[in-house]
Amino acid sequence: MRFLHLILRSFFRSKRRTVLTILSITVSVALVAILQSVLATLDGFANNPEASNRIVVRHKVSITNMLPVRYEDWIRQQPEVEAVMGLQWFQGVYIDRRNFFPNFASEAEYVTAIFKEEIVDYSDTQYRDFLRDRNGCIVGRALADKFGWKVGDVISLQSEIFPLTVRLTVRCIFKSKRASDEMGLHFHFKLLEEGVFYMKGRTGNFFVRVRHPEDVPKIIERIDRHFRDAVEPTLSETENAFQLEFLKMMGNYTAIIQMITGAVLVAILIVTANTMAMAIRERTTEIAVFRAMGFRTGQILFLLMGEGILLSVLGGGFGLGLAWIMAGAIRNVAGTFLPYLQNFSIDLGTMALCFQATLGVGILSTFIPAYRATRRPIVDGLRSL
Amino acid sequence: MNGEPIIRLRGVAKSYYREALEIPVLQGIDLDIPAGGYYALMGPSGSGKTTLLNLIAGIDRPTGGELEVCGFALNGLDDDELAGWRSAYVGFIFQNYNLVPVLTAFENVELPLLLTPMGRRERREKVEEAMERVNLMDRMENYPRQLSGGQEQRVAVARAIVSNPELLVADEPTGALDSKNAEEIMALLEGLNRELGKTIVMVTHDPKAAHHAKHQIHLEKGVLDRTIEVNR
Repeated sequence: MRFLHLILRSFFRSKRRTVLTILSITVSVALVAILQSVLATLDGFANNPEASNRIVVRHKVSITNMLPVRYEDWIRQQPEVEAVMGLQWFQGVYIDRRNFFPNFASEAEYVTAIFKEEIVDYSDTQYRDFLRDRNGCIVGRALADKFGWKVGDVISLQSEIFPLTVRLTVRCIFKSKRASDEMGLHFHFKLLEEGVFYMKGRTGNFFVRVRHPEDVPKIIERIDRHFRDAVEPTLSETENAFQLEFLKMMGNYTAIIQMITGAVLVAILIVTANTMAMAIRERTTEIAVFRAMGFRTGQILFLLMGEGILLSVLGGGFGLGLAWIMAGAIRNVAGTFLPYLQNFSIDLGTMALCFQATLGVGILSTFIPAYRATRRPIVDGLRSL
Repeated sequence: MNGEPIIRLRGVAKSYYREALEIPVLQGIDLDIPAGGYYALMGPSGSGKTTLLNLIAGIDRPTGGELEVCGFALNGLDDDELAGWRSAYVGFIFQNYNLVPVLTAFENVELPLLLTPMGRRERREKVEEAMERVNLMDRMENYPRQLSGGQEQRVAVARAIVSNPELLVADEPTGALDSKNAEEIMALLEGLNRELGKTIVMVTHDPKAAHHAKHQIHLEKGVLDRTIEVNR
């Protein structure tokens, strides 16, 4: 501790250089924290523990091919199956494309059974009204709040994949555990069947709830085996795997994000190493004087590395602060059209990663110039002006 | 002066190497300097006087011979042991003062004491004592840039004596000063030798400065030419 003031005085020796270096580390760490949080959010989206006993059944050829609704009857007869629901992604636009939210044509009577972890709190009366009204819909609280919808309001959705516009009456508003789960809308599948002739008796997917998660692999295998030789064979997978397929359409986002993160970390390392190398080089004589006075190698290393680590850790701390502010902005702005970003935040794992990375950068960037400074003969250092 | 040699050099040699080329700087130096002595090392440029001072101060190592300073055979000490020895026995005064620009005069003088187990209060007392000795009590909170050259060198002298070393080494201590400040610094060193009994070895080109020493050692092409006792 008796050397702390020496570290601090040297740290602010060139204020402009110190501030600029801290700023560059701050921006870089904020970028790393945001990228890693995006990765964690996407991974969390595809690893939803609430979906551990749900299976999605789709056409084996492509996600855009339809399956006969009658398959549902056979699946429902399996003793391990608790509920089955035909569900079709509708991609309806509400007034403007920027108002994006997920909306589905679903078999209404099974919605709460299939999504019981997401549709947690709702009025039974409202839900009965939804079931009775073929033009009714059930919406999440966050979605209703976003557009100011109340029960009884009529909304219009124009599909981007079907030649159909539906006029829906909000009949039921549900609450969930997470805001991101309150951004969906379900309306009656029959409305789609009646409005689009080629959807008669057909659906995009079946959502299957299995009674016990350990039965999931068995059911997946049994469904696909049963429909293997059918005209429209199936491909069943867990809901998480299905979500992952969706995400993979964006490409190998994990590799992309990790590559950008690596590049940013290398950039911080270079910037910090350059700053520390300059700071140490311009103090060659001073370091020689310290050593002449009797400062040992370890003490000189401690002073110089303390400075480098302080620089990177301060930058890292400010970077995490900036990332925290940015995460709030992302929740408020991007979360409105990308529902899974509703819960976007910088988690503890990401913070720990950023802290370790900046600490590593501080140590790596300073050690070599500091070590070289302690190895240089004192008389050479004293001659260097 | 009690006559016991505090510095004993036997056959000391120093060569520098530029690739395969050996450049001898000092050859076969035998020298005894008694405790309490005040010696000026003189000679033309390249004669090896600063190299000899560096060897005595333990900041450079000889390529041959034996050095014993303040009771320690320096050849046998490793780098950290040598650093510990310097902090306990040697005070340095440089031509360009070499104060740390981001530290106040007080903090500069305090630096060698940070290597001791002294507490804050004791350090303060020692620093004030040293600053009083160089008559700079009113400048303790000033940074080096706020001091004149003469004041900076007095701070450097305070830094050299604050840990009460037996030996003071000075490399051209008046080289960057005008004659008035040079005279003040020389008077200060003379007082440290006379009143506190510090052994001083000083490199200088300046005959006036050398005249303050008790002995002058002349080097010529890396060998001891002659030692002269100064008569005043």
